[in-house]
Amino acid sequence: MNFRQFAYRNVIRNRRIYAAFFMASVFSVMVFFLYSMLLFHPSIENRFLQEIALVGMGAAELILFIFTLFFLFYSMRAFLQARSKEFGILLHLGMEKRQLHRLIFIETLIIGVGAILAGTFLGYMFSKFFFMVVKEIVLLPALPLYLSWKPFALTVGAFLSLFIIISLSAPVFIRTGRVEELIRGEMAELGSHGFSTKRAIFGLALLGVSYWAAASTSNSIVIGLIFLLPPLATIGTYFFFTDSLPFLLHLFRRRKKFYWRHFWLLSVSEGVVRLKENARMFFIVTIVSTLAFMSVGILASLTSFASQYREMNPLGLVYHSLPGNQLEQRHVAELIEELKEKQLDYTLVRIPIIEQTSSFTENRVSILKLSNVNLLAQSFGYSKIDLSKGYAMFLPPSASSYDFLKKRTVETTLKETDITIQIEGAYPFQVFPSNAIGTNAIILNDSDFEKIIMQDIDPASVYYAFNIPDWQNTKEVGLQINRSISESFITGTIHHLPYKFDNPGANYAIIRTTFSLLLFVGLLLAGVFFLAAGSFIYFRLYTSLERDRKQFDVLRRMGITDKEFKRIVNRQLIPQFFFPWGVAFVHSSFAFLSLQVIWDALAEISIVKELLLVLAGFTLMQIIYFYLIRWRYLAHIKAST
Amino acid sequence: MRWMTAQRIVELTEVTKIYEGKVMHRALNRLDFEAEEGEFVAIMGPSGSGKTTLLNLISTIDLPTYGKLVVNGIEPEVLSQNELALFRRHNFGFVFQDINLLHMLTVEENIVLPLTLDGLPLHEMERRVKKISAQLHLKEILNRRPDELSGGQAQRTAIGRALIHQPKMILADEPTGNLDSKSAKDVLELLSHVNETERTTIIMVTHDPIAASYCDRVLFIKDGEFFNEIYKDERRQTFFQRILNVLSLLGGNVHDLRTL
Repeated sequence: MNFRQFAYRNVIRNRRIYAAFFMASVFSVMVFFLYSMLLFHPSIENRFLQEIALVGMGAAELILFIFTLFFLFYSMRAFLQARSKEFGILLHLGMEKRQLHRLIFIETLIIGVGAILAGTFLGYMFSKFFFMVVKEIVLLPALPLYLSWKPFALTVGAFLSLFIIISLSAPVFIRTGRVEELIRGEMAELGSHGFSTKRAIFGLALLGVSYWAAASTSNSIVIGLIFLLPPLATIGTYFFFTDSLPFLLHLFRRRKKFYWRHFWLLSVSEGVVRLKENARMFFIVTIVSTLAFMSVGILASLTSFASQYREMNPLGLVYHSLPGNQLEQRHVAELIEELKEKQLDYTLVRIPIIEQTSSFTENRVSILKLSNVNLLAQSFGYSKIDLSKGYAMFLPPSASSYDFLKKRTVETTLKETDITIQIEGAYPFQVFPSNAIGTNAIILNDSDFEKIIMQDIDPASVYYAFNIPDWQNTKEVGLQINRSISESFITGTIHHLPYKFDNPGANYAIIRTTFSLLLFVGLLLAGVFFLAAGSFIYFRLYTSLERDRKQFDVLRRMGITDKEFKRIVNRQLIPQFFFPWGVAFVHSSFAFLSLQVIWDALAEISIVKELLLVLAGFTLMQIIYFYLIRWRYLAHIKAST
Repeated sequence: MRWMTAQRIVELTEVTKIYEGKVMHRALNRLDFEAEEGEFVAIMGPSGSGKTTLLNLISTIDLPTYGKLVVNGIEPEVLSQNELALFRRHNFGFVFQDINLLHMLTVEENIVLPLTLDGLPLHEMERRVKKISAQLHLKEILNRRPDELSGGQAQRTAIGRALIHQPKMILADEPTGNLDSKSAKDVLELLSHVNETERTTIIMVTHDPIAASYCDRVLFIKDGEFFNEIYKDERRQTFFQRILNVLSLLGGNVHDLRTL
């Protein structure tokens, strides 16, 4: 058996320990490869539509790479420390340090190359499926599987260099102390308490302040808090695990009435030890899970923004012509022509809007003619509204202002034309996009409207409302107008442009596909985080297995039933699994409280439903993972005795 | 015999234990053994003679392959795993060679552990810890952790844990194996004191003839079979000498020597 074979066999025989670590690495490589496949896809290039998504994908690759680097560093260190006894024996038998380093280098490289091969292979296997999902999301006509060296080169190059860095630096992690120390291994670290009351209270205070600030935030300070709270909460979380939690458990241990109760004695004291050994790991898992929750939650809320977009934009196309617009007739004719060409049904209502000054508020008020609005409403299938002479109705700028306006009655005189009207209630149907006609608009009965027109008042603007039932297929309509708007946007003359054009269908398509794609990318990323967090916990359990077995043997002799043993194990495992995750849960809930404030300001959207869905999904995955690992753990512990 | 009138607490009749595996191993072969209530018995024999197997059978962790085993009036075979666990918990106290204190618990918590599992009221637990710690001179070190104890203190703590629930029987596997002679003496005197005052049955596996000389009776086994059995007499010194005599027969293989 030569040296390389020895290293190879070491890996193969340690496969149980390596399993979770290997799995997480493979998954990480696979996701990276899938992203690369999409990045280099020949039919996705040069498309304005997916630009943001591509940027997101590239960012995701970078995050994934950095995260994997940290994950590997951390796992490798814990890993080599757990095997310190084995290394101690090798040194004892006369192996040189240099040889030991070479052994570790080769071992790490074997795992690395294995993970890269398996990851790219699985990635290529799944890329057809991945493309199918992306195609559905992006609404592309076709996204065929392709073979190119680029994604392979990127993945293999990135991860091979990563694993080589790790393999080269791995020997640094083994404590190069005395051989005897290595053989004694991890047991040596257990001292007494090891927490400081000051830091414990500091940690709790930091978390308390962050939570309070996040929960009571208002729109004006939320932007500042976005930069302030995350570092505050991160530091707080760190001290929470290293000091506050041991401190709280210490307080609990003094209350013998509860502490000396059935299994509490065993599980709490065991919990304290685990916490001491793994505080940093719990901290990392918490932060990683919080990031995963947050990114998925934010993306889910963006997706929900897209789905509520339609409710806010009931019209298919909107052309708003301002005074002095010479292109009005041409543009509208163009739009009609294009719609006919695409064989899209539509109802066009031309709505002139007059502006007057209201004596009641001294503000300008936009006035629409009732019959125009009725015409539009009928195309949606809503019923006609009647208004007698001298009466008008508020046109609510958004759905939420309806409730406020519907009970309001105002008597006012339109100053320029000296017409007195009574404004009673609000228009109940949503036929215009939110804030389309300004915030102060009314619908006036036909005869009073005519009276104003008679006095030679020109309309302040003309609103062309296209109701198109098949609104999602208007992507290709009005491209010409859009182009000239973009041009004036670039030249900075956008504010002087005498017309506005809006194509909600096309906007919707862009928003929806971008967000869905980002969500999909984010979910995959969260999947990697999640697997990595689980692998940390599994790995830690595995390294303490020897000690746990010994303890189990004592308890078994003492006379502990299987059921009791399971309960003790539950009490030891559940906190390890669900505590970091629970803290992450609370962290992200408070973060979303702030996020909701931002959404409220941007658009009236509630993200509660999406978030509950995301959190429920993560909970389910975590429970499955818990049972899986508990099953393996129990089997290992019992097998040896 | 002076123990005839007492209650039998352990009774093995022609017990054989075979470990199946890649290599079949007969650890005990048709062994008869009994112990009376209140007796202090030592089991001696060379390595691999089946001492620990015998102790595991008595403590109901292992079941015999053949033969009949009765412990405290009960045949372990008829009980379920759960019932066996509870049976052990309520009837036995264990003392091990490598002491096996739970390292994350303090001395006090280690001692009280068996009681917490049964959910005794707090004042009762505290009362018993107080009594035991006075008896075992553990008062000053109740709040220490196992890694802050000397070998003797650790073993006294383990004995405290074995005694706290007032078991019928203490099963000890080389309790002095890792101790210096002074601590070993303390531990043995403690065990025989408990045996005398509480009438607790003690069965102890040991290599050490001095440890065995504290007992009422010594059973010698070799290759899983009965070899000899001797009872104590008035003086520990002569008992010790007789144990040494048996051991010298037991240790070397006389036939091997003869061929020289």
